[in-house]
Amino acid sequence: MNRAKTLRSTLMALLAVGTALLLAGCERPPMESVQHGFRGTGMVQVYNPRALEAKVEANELPVSLPPASDEGPRAAKAYQNVKVLGDLSVGQFTRLMASMTAWIAPNEGCGYCHNVANFADDSKYTKVVARRMIEMTQHINADWKNHVADTGVTCWTCHRGQPVPNAIWFKANHQPQGSNFIGDKSGQNEPHPAVNLSTLPNDPFTPFLLEAKPIRVGGNTALPSGNRASIKQAEWTYGLMVHFSQSLGVNCTYCHNTQNFSKWEGGPPQRVTAWHGIRMARDLNAAYMEPLTEVFPAHRKGELGDVAKLNCATCHQGAYKPLHGQSMLKGFPELSKPAAASTVTAAAEAKK
Amino acid sequence: MAMLSFEKKYRVRGGTLVGGDLFDFWVGPFYVGFFGVTTAFFSLLGTVLILWGASQGPTWSPWAINIAPPDLKYGLALAPLAEGGLWQIITVCALGAFGSWALREVEICRKLGMGYHVPVAFSVAILAYFTLVVIRPVLMGAWGHGFPYGIFSHLDWVSNVGYQYLHFHYNPAHMLAVTFFFTTTFALSLHGALVLSSTNPKPGEIVKTPEHEDTFFRDIIGYSVGTLGIHRLGLFLAIAAVLFSALCIVISGPFWTRGWPEWWSWWLNLPIWSQWPLN
Amino acid sequence: MAQYLNLFTTVQATGPLQHGVPLGPGNSPRSVEPFFSYWAGKLGNAQLGPIYLGGLGLASIICGVFAITIIGMNMLASVNWNPVQFVRQLFWLSLEPPPPSYGLSMPPLNQGGWWLIVGVFLTASMFLWWARTYRRARELGMGTHIPWAFAAAIWLYLVLGLFRPILMGSWGEAVPYGIFSHLDWTAAFSLRYGNLFYNPFHALSIAFLYGSVLLFAMHGATILAVGRYGGEREIEQIVDRGTASERAALFWRWTMGFNATMESIHRWAWWFAVLCPLTGGIGILLTGTAVDNWYLWAVKHHVAPPYPDVFPAVTDPALSSGAKP
Repeated sequence: MNRAKTLRSTLMALLAVGTALLLAGCERPPMESVQHGFRGTGMVQVYNPRALEAKVEANELPVSLPPASDEGPRAAKAYQNVKVLGDLSVGQFTRLMASMTAWIAPNEGCGYCHNVANFADDSKYTKVVARRMIEMTQHINADWKNHVADTGVTCWTCHRGQPVPNAIWFKANHQPQGSNFIGDKSGQNEPHPAVNLSTLPNDPFTPFLLEAKPIRVGGNTALPSGNRASIKQAEWTYGLMVHFSQSLGVNCTYCHNTQNFSKWEGGPPQRVTAWHGIRMARDLNAAYMEPLTEVFPAHRKGELGDVAKLNCATCHQGAYKPLHGQSMLKGFPELSKPAAASTVTAAAEAKK
Repeated sequence: MAMLSFEKKYRVRGGTLVGGDLFDFWVGPFYVGFFGVTTAFFSLLGTVLILWGASQGPTWSPWAINIAPPDLKYGLALAPLAEGGLWQIITVCALGAFGSWALREVEICRKLGMGYHVPVAFSVAILAYFTLVVIRPVLMGAWGHGFPYGIFSHLDWVSNVGYQYLHFHYNPAHMLAVTFFFTTTFALSLHGALVLSSTNPKPGEIVKTPEHEDTFFRDIIGYSVGTLGIHRLGLFLAIAAVLFSALCIVISGPFWTRGWPEWWSWWLNLPIWSQWPLN
Repeated sequence: MAQYLNLFTTVQATGPLQHGVPLGPGNSPRSVEPFFSYWAGKLGNAQLGPIYLGGLGLASIICGVFAITIIGMNMLASVNWNPVQFVRQLFWLSLEPPPPSYGLSMPPLNQGGWWLIVGVFLTASMFLWWARTYRRARELGMGTHIPWAFAAAIWLYLVLGLFRPILMGSWGEAVPYGIFSHLDWTAAFSLRYGNLFYNPFHALSIAFLYGSVLLFAMHGATILAVGRYGGEREIEQIVDRGTASERAALFWRWTMGFNATMESIHRWAWWFAVLCPLTGGIGILLTGTAVDNWYLWAVKHHVAPPYPDVFPAVTDPALSSGAKP
């Protein structure tokens, strides 16, 4: 009898410990939920308010320098080797330079990009990259309004006070041990943070955000009508979608009613914005990042010698809109002007 | 009428929990009892309300009828009838009907001198339903988190709630539940087959014995759980499947808001792995 | 009032070790001297062993071990032969089928070749084990219900790994050998084919899956509830109905208006459990071959539920821009 009692209490104790352990790996309630579709469809965003608080802090805007006057000589005349932003006043130009230092290299200072003995000198790669990045920023704000609207982006959006943004990507080296006769991972089957630690393909960026491989896999007709997409292709698309979710801090139902992923009609409008975002990422990677490959030194490149590239996380960094939709552009109109004539053509062609 | 050849001697009075002799009778093969009356009341009301809800909707196709819960904005209050309130009342009817059914089963067990295993097992299933439409919505702060009543619409809810966590298959409790579901089905096929193989043996042979059943399984896998053991095992597997299912959904949302694959990071980051080099 | 719930055996009576019903000529002797396990005896029989190790079983085990070893070696190789990482990443490791570009041809070893070889040996192992269950049943003079139930499971396995890939013209459509990776396959399958919840055979299969769990809970509970009348002695109750079967039948008759018998409940059980993989296999086989998008199929057959529009109108941007999606 006593034995049975001890057994029972041992089992109850084990159950209690087991439950405690399981819950220890979880989050503490209560949670907040936001409905995003018709009632009862289950299209809901669930947020942990404690995590959200931390995110709000992380997405606060930096203090901007007061605007400078437009009077006086143009920067192109006052300084040498000014290839972009030449039509700004000296005051505006200097203000932007100081702002960029704060946004990108606050600890490193002007010397991060400039040869401080001769500010016009292009010998540091960082200056060449920064110039191209200014053009890229102007291009995003002028030509990609279907994704960034009037909120726009500045250097801070990606860099957040660091020379290298937190979230960048390199092409995956899928066979680090060389080409063996056994043990191929097929670009997946390892716990990778890019895909939420799942075994989905973990470099969906090369085919979908650098190249323009088709993302859609679902058919448009009930009966087969020539759709040759495979299950493996669906896994690659799934990997990309997991990246979207993580980058924006949302779940799949933010853009889809999963009753039918392919259907656009009756679905959330956020999906259209994302569609443009994909094209924007491809454009920026192909027209701005890739051409900088020879400019960057080896220690800034990936295992395969490729340049750093951007994906959704680079700007969004876990927020449904970068910086929770707060705009810095009003204070920096020079970053929303269309880029100068010579670079516009190249950018416009790359947009296709 | 409708009595089996041996049934009469078992139709005795007694065993009721509530109401004494008042409802202690049968209608055809069905035992009534106080809880038979309440079951009928709740089921009828609930069904009528579902039909009324269908009449307010766009379709009469039984596959497409949908009675949806309220918007989340109503929180834990009673919503207007046409805005989800109907769903709430139907849910009360369902719980009333299921509870009544279980208690009626208890009365029948008492009358037949049986253990309460069946109503207890059924109560676990009711607990799973209760978890889905009461416990989890309350923890999340709104009745609107319950699932809609509709054949395909409730599957759309399952799909969307699953994708709220990016890849629901990685939910560890879900993995356990699914494993128990398949194992139960496997064990059921074995048990059904084993009994039938003894009582419907090779043509020309006589009915076999439990010793044959034991010998068959010992020959195949080295162990036979036996006639009593298989029923305990089956009941355990089935109940475990349902309990882990309820667990897997109650933790999704109230206790976890991220993708389920990410939950596994605790294993990957255990300090013990860092003792050895990664490559 | 405390009562015995019949869930665990409180007092274990140990009898003589059972060496099994004697087999006819042409059978090997049974191996492994049986012994008792106290903890096994708490739930069911305490005796472990003996086991029959015949040619079929041995061949099956050899093929199976070969298959599992190849899977394990691939997994170990994929973590650069690091045993610690093998344990750490075990759930993530996998052996993948070939890329679709190889169609149904034999791919290089490291591009799905190993997967194909494993498939051959695993299938052989399963068929040999099936033959084992058939032979053992026949040698004991019993019906072959277990082998035929097993056949339903083998049907599903073959649909997933052989029949459907052949019909689709690509080994790459088959399931990888890996814990998390086979779950990715499951999700991707539904994503590719327009939501498998709308596949009617998938729905049937689930109905039989849940139905099986329901049935075993019902049947297990019922037998335990009439344990005091010897309900678990099902064979004896079938040929000579006793009060256990009578009470069990009446419980259900009075509850839901109809009932099974001690034998027929096992037929309900067998069919529900067997129909789960049977209909499931049909559903898988029809996907991609006969139907490309199950949701659209449901719309076509007027069974998909419509929802009111709550968002501003959205159209596919690919259609308006003229660009490729």
